[in-house]
Amino acid sequence: MSAIAEVPEGVETEQLGYGRAINAALAEEMRRDERVWMMGQDVAKMGGVFGVTRGLLDEFGPSRVRDTTINETFIVGGAAGAALTGTIPVVELQFADFGLVAGDEIFHKLAKWRYMHGGKLSLPVVVRLPTGVVGGAGAEHSQSLEAIAMHVPGLKVALPATPADAKGLLKTAIRDPNPVLFFEHKGMYRTKGPVPSGDDYLVPFGEAATRRRGDALTVVATGLMVPRALAAAERLAADGIELEVIDPRTLVPLDMETIVASVERTGRALVVHEAVRTAGAGAEIAARIQEAAFFSLDAPIWRLGALDTPIPQDPDLEQLVIPSGEQIEAAARELVAL
Amino acid sequence: MSTRTEKTGETGTASAELALDLYRQVTRIRALELLLHRYVKEHGFGGFWHPGLGQEAVQAGAVSALRREDYLFYAHRGLGYALVKGMAPEVLLGDLFGRTGGSVGGKGGGTVHFVDPELGVLGQGGTLGSNFVLGAGAATSVQLLGEDRVVAVFFGDGAASRGTFHEAALQASVWKLPVVWICENNGWHLSAPFSAQSPTEDVADRAAGYGMPGVVVDGQDSVAVRAATLAAVERARAGEGPSLVEAKTLRIRGHYEGDPQRYRDDIADGLEVPRDPLRILRERVPAAAADDLDAAAESEAEAALEAALEMPKADPGIVTEGVWT
Repeated sequence: MSAIAEVPEGVETEQLGYGRAINAALAEEMRRDERVWMMGQDVAKMGGVFGVTRGLLDEFGPSRVRDTTINETFIVGGAAGAALTGTIPVVELQFADFGLVAGDEIFHKLAKWRYMHGGKLSLPVVVRLPTGVVGGAGAEHSQSLEAIAMHVPGLKVALPATPADAKGLLKTAIRDPNPVLFFEHKGMYRTKGPVPSGDDYLVPFGEAATRRRGDALTVVATGLMVPRALAAAERLAADGIELEVIDPRTLVPLDMETIVASVERTGRALVVHEAVRTAGAGAEIAARIQEAAFFSLDAPIWRLGALDTPIPQDPDLEQLVIPSGEQIEAAARELVAL
Repeated sequence: MSTRTEKTGETGTASAELALDLYRQVTRIRALELLLHRYVKEHGFGGFWHPGLGQEAVQAGAVSALRREDYLFYAHRGLGYALVKGMAPEVLLGDLFGRTGGSVGGKGGGTVHFVDPELGVLGQGGTLGSNFVLGAGAATSVQLLGEDRVVAVFFGDGAASRGTFHEAALQASVWKLPVVWICENNGWHLSAPFSAQSPTEDVADRAAGYGMPGVVVDGQDSVAVRAATLAAVERARAGEGPSLVEAKTLRIRGHYEGDPQRYRDDIADGLEVPRDPLRILRERVPAAAADDLDAAAESEAEAALEAALEMPKADPGIVTEGVWT
């Protein structure tokens, strides 16, 4: 029982950062399909505030890589309008938090336009949302808001936790005819890992990845909490406690089958995310586990998440708000002993 | 580039053929408006109908300046936009009554979301003023694909206050997108008079800030509306960017049918349309031809109502359909 490779065996890979993997996905998809284009604040010459889109302007030109003004309602609503009329926009909001500035466009226009109009129109839009804490970005630039997206029907929600998934999920998102909110963790842009080199590496939506096999406890973790849970699992393994770590990768659609099958084997579940614990995705996952596997459970399902407080600006303080590896380790030890 | 709001005093010229065509469209819209007024009063229906009585000349004049392939984001008041763009009246009524023969297959009812991708009718949002950004986005597609299309976005003087107008109008001008912004200024933000909510007399004054032409036209004169819209459409088609056309018009009925309009004392509660677009057009159209068109419009409306009421309601299964592609 141990960690599982991030990329299936036999696939040719290169070491890439999470941000570069996203860049590669964008470039490949724009080469593959001329209808794919992108816009956002400072995405062209500057390459985005996090440098993720660097170089794309040079290859694809100012028509397909567009700097906008500071206008989130247009970035998202304009993408909706463009998607209705034959192109495939991939737009970047500088911070996922700014999605709230475009709330009507995300939750009403993207999520409902097709439904309200009798299913006659499609909205192939990807909204890239740099999410999570990054070190001092503050209360309005550090949130993990994916549960809100999960709560409004009509939006697919992806949260890659490895460079390989960042590439494979984004390529799938761009090819999906539905609107996708793509929560990329901005604290992980420089995390390196093996990334499949081929153009055709797609990670399907609704297929969780089991990151580690174990029999003592199922840990369901997303985003930044995946590496933290895996590190905690290594420490516990030294004491003979083997955690199974599952990364759902997409919350909509959500692969409950893999999670439930694991809990049926381990009898215990801990759900961990960086988002606020109250009414987070973990609440939904925990509820669904107990609906499907109540009689397999040997202990209550626990959740770890951020405190019920905004993210403080100070980089040291912000870490106190979200779950640490030590907290995951402690919770796992306690839960296994129950 | 500096632009000034231009107020066109003249009504423009119209060939006999054009005047007849506009008369036909205005009277078709009017017949449906009056029929709906009667129907809602007598039977009610499951929703809020926002009547467009009095605003027919704007809808007919402006939409008739578009081609079939041009895109249309319409506003919530009336059904003239979609009718003139080419949608069948029974389909529009089917949408209103939530019937399967409506364009959204029975999902609608009341406040409508008419749609017809073939005719470029791309729908409307339930949050007023949300169409601005979609319109600018559609125009970005047109520009990217190098298509010969224009996007028309309709809105009222109330929706003109939305921040989305600023974001969309600014980006559309910066990118010289093929958009025409058409403001139907009926003088009312639901219960508040436009004059109480605007520091300037005209919405069109705001165009200057976006470096685009802003034109004010008499919204009761369909010939003038068509001429102003056509100039804006041609400018957009030539790649010169967006324009704002403001048509001064009248809201005769309440915000929704049944609204007692207690906040209002400028107009009698009735169906009389001051500066009636039909009367204005009759100066350009032979009386006999106009009478014939009125009769044809009434028959069309009656037949459409009959057809729509015969359409079945949707099966319950429709509730979960159409979320995903």
